[in-house]
Amino acid sequence: MTHPEPAPATIGRVVATELKPSTPHQFHFWTARESPVGIGAIVRVDAPGRTVFGIVTDAAAYSDLQTPMHAVLGADGDPAAVATEPSERPEVRLFLASVLRQMPEEPLQPVPLGTVQLASDADVVLALRMETFAVGERATGIPVGVYAAGGHASPVYLDCDFLLGPEAAHLNISGVSGLATKTSAVEFLLSSIFQTFPAHKGSVAAVCFNVKGPDLCFLDQGTSVPDGDRALYDRMGLRPEPFSSVRYFAPHKPDGVNLNTLRTNEALSANTEPLVWGLREVLDFAEVVMNRDDVDAKADAFIGFLAERIVGREYQDEMLRGKPFFVQSFADLEEFFRAIFDFMEALGKGGEVWRTHHLATIRKVRNRLGNIGTRSRGLVTDDGTANDLPWGSFTDRSVQVIDVAGLDPLAQDLVFARVVSKLREHLERRDLGVDHVVVFVDELNKYAPADGPETYVRKMLLDLSERGRYLGLVLFSAQQFRSQVQRRVVGNAGTSVYGRMDMDELATPGYATLSPATRIKLGTLPKGELMLRHPHFTQPIFVRFPRPAVMTGREGVERFPPAADLGFADAVARQLRSLDRRIGTDHVRALVEGRRDDDVRRALSATRRARPDDPAAYFAAALGRRVAPEAPAQRRGVTPLRRPAPDDPYAF
Amino acid sequence: MIARADRIRRALGARGLLPALGAAEASRGRADDATIQPAALIEDAALASHPVGEAQPWSGPLGFLDGTQRSELIGYAGASPIFVAEIAAAVRERNGRVLTTAVAERKLVAVGRPAALAAAGSALEGCELLASADDEPPHPVRDQHCAERAIERARGALEVAVGARYRERSDAWLIVDGALSDNPGWAADVRAVGIAKSHAALPFEGEALERYLRLPAAHRTSIFAPRSRSVAPVRAWALRLWPREGKDLLYGLVRVEVAPANGTPEMADRLSRWLLAERAPVSTPDPRWDRLLYGIHSVEAYLRASVPGVTRR
Repeated sequence: MTHPEPAPATIGRVVATELKPSTPHQFHFWTARESPVGIGAIVRVDAPGRTVFGIVTDAAAYSDLQTPMHAVLGADGDPAAVATEPSERPEVRLFLASVLRQMPEEPLQPVPLGTVQLASDADVVLALRMETFAVGERATGIPVGVYAAGGHASPVYLDCDFLLGPEAAHLNISGVSGLATKTSAVEFLLSSIFQTFPAHKGSVAAVCFNVKGPDLCFLDQGTSVPDGDRALYDRMGLRPEPFSSVRYFAPHKPDGVNLNTLRTNEALSANTEPLVWGLREVLDFAEVVMNRDDVDAKADAFIGFLAERIVGREYQDEMLRGKPFFVQSFADLEEFFRAIFDFMEALGKGGEVWRTHHLATIRKVRNRLGNIGTRSRGLVTDDGTANDLPWGSFTDRSVQVIDVAGLDPLAQDLVFARVVSKLREHLERRDLGVDHVVVFVDELNKYAPADGPETYVRKMLLDLSERGRYLGLVLFSAQQFRSQVQRRVVGNAGTSVYGRMDMDELATPGYATLSPATRIKLGTLPKGELMLRHPHFTQPIFVRFPRPAVMTGREGVERFPPAADLGFADAVARQLRSLDRRIGTDHVRALVEGRRDDDVRRALSATRRARPDDPAAYFAAALGRRVAPEAPAQRRGVTPLRRPAPDDPYAF
Repeated sequence: MIARADRIRRALGARGLLPALGAAEASRGRADDATIQPAALIEDAALASHPVGEAQPWSGPLGFLDGTQRSELIGYAGASPIFVAEIAAAVRERNGRVLTTAVAERKLVAVGRPAALAAAGSALEGCELLASADDEPPHPVRDQHCAERAIERARGALEVAVGARYRERSDAWLIVDGALSDNPGWAADVRAVGIAKSHAALPFEGEALERYLRLPAAHRTSIFAPRSRSVAPVRAWALRLWPREGKDLLYGLVRVEVAPANGTPEMADRLSRWLLAERAPVSTPDPRWDRLLYGIHSVEAYLRASVPGVTRR
């Protein structure tokens, strides 16, 4: 066991009385009035044969005055006179500290009546048990911030075995909006993970869902970091730099060509691409868009039938029509449904069941699936082509940002469910490309609310929080009010982070274990300060973290204003220019002139997917040979009858 | 409980003496006999009351001196009791409203007949031995009274020593808890003020006593020269710190003693105004807070905190 270094200057002394005794888990100490001790300060108690580390959780001050009435009496009822009293009453500053660690740890005894010092850097390492994971050749420490008190600034580390698995995993962050707490903290922590995640633990990537505004839209853009924050980076041995490998995915707007994101400035188009799914991608997650009543065995069976027998396969049914079906798109599927309904109508009475599936079930599934196309227009394409995340080729320290801020909530659920399920599938097969993936979800209370109906997404989040760590699938989640999130989801987060909290939220039972002073501190935390819970820390710890070295959403939007929605041809040209900047708008206009929009979208999608050396040529080829319009032959018509004489009133 | 008392008891037992447990009567404080000891008026032909004016803060540093004692019966050598006492004295000095300890001293003393102390031998190691009179046969009760007086004298001597040490390092005004007349050094010190809270010995009788006891608030009596227990000549006057209406006659009444050189009406008025300012902050929860200056209360609190169980005020 590492032994504590010699103690620095004494700033207090443990005091114990019958009414306020020292115990193995907490103790009181007093200090001079001018001491630098405050709530959250880590202190060290030295006594012969024992050193104890504690964190200040509460404080009290009082004088020798027995009742307020005596103060009134002494001042003759004049509060101003107290300042002129010749003697000042002595005042005690009494602090309550919770034990972080005792050395030796056995036998566990009450805290001795020793001297109290502020913890040094080395003391902080011992107090938080960081010597077991943050030092040495195979260290697993991830810097999360700097503990600061009394002129000390000590880096605090999280154990990546307990942050990204397998021992524990997941991180949840709570805090009121608008104080640069949640998003900034996660951005900084991801940067810290990417810079310090040890090689012997494998590779790591992140998938972030941007659920509101431009919050996560500029992770690849650097920004100036103030000197104070730069010093914090230095203290933690980190570089203040933006993420080097970021890909953005955003669905289209309903027009199918303009991206539904605030990151549409042409300067950012190189790594911004559409997220487009076809029928095949959506069908497996049809359950997401169905309400609880919809999900019955019959509907489930019919959806299974569609997925296994119909979609993406040739399906021949002589009763429906002569030629086989080849369903690849929603349009094809609609044609298939139409054929069933026509057949059943033709049967007349008794035509209520088709291949063991009741007509009502078929209609319900058709309506719900059709609903996806309507509510997710722009995300779900009708032409069968898809542009998806790079499944199987995730790279180490890369970030995939999926911007769903502009999507309908149902479509957001669909995106979320499919992406997480695909991550899980690939991680199970070990073919994602990386060993660990951090999934960041903001507004967790929306996806996994504490109450309300059971939804597919909530079940999936619960499963992720309970079993994801074995796969390397890690959930970083955030919300304003922790109390409004499903308890099991946040409860499974090995690491919890708290920014400035709403006082009403702090009054909920989930915070009852915190002292009143700690709650007050949480309610007034300045920007850039956090309270941490981590499995190695026996008590919550307060740390400062620097502002992330990436542009905030607001900065990014000012620096890279979103491009205005373009006409169809111009929007296609802009997307092609992201592949080759030399492609001119006029050239693209000429290529798409007279083409059907669906054909153009299909060609554009194919070009994006192929990423050819010559995108313009590829796009032109994908459009196919232009079919010259045929001028209709002049009809000869019927030979006119001989015109009758104008003056013959009886002529025909 | 005196910290070392049990160890001494065990040692006494080992030497064949009889260990005993009990608080000495002296723990209840100094016994003052209630007497009238007529004083000589220095100011006015008959005792009068004088308004002293508005309270004025004392300027510059100000020292407060007080002592404490605690004693325990720890055993018997035959019929002779042996007592151990912890005595302490300190000066707390006020600078800029803040009181800090300037001088402090503590002693452990053992009191008993010379034969009893000799029998205890090394069991009393570390204690200063105070031999009480042995001109009469041993009597536990009488010997206890003798021991109490010896302890009080020891505490008084310690207060004097501490005051002298303070005077060596500072010429600031020094407020002493009790009478100045007990010590010639203080009685001659023109920067010393004694504040006696006890009125067991009263300086007047008859109508003068009535005027003395009915002194209005923020008034002082005529200056007089006490004759009680006077080791050294001093000048004195009574001062009413708080209105007594609705309360006891002695409520808020103190006797102020100064060196003869300070016994002028002007100085009496000035010192009285300064003392009136010392009413705040009040010395609660001490039941004598109406007469106990906060500075003296601070010395007592300090000594009580550093000598656990001290009860003498």
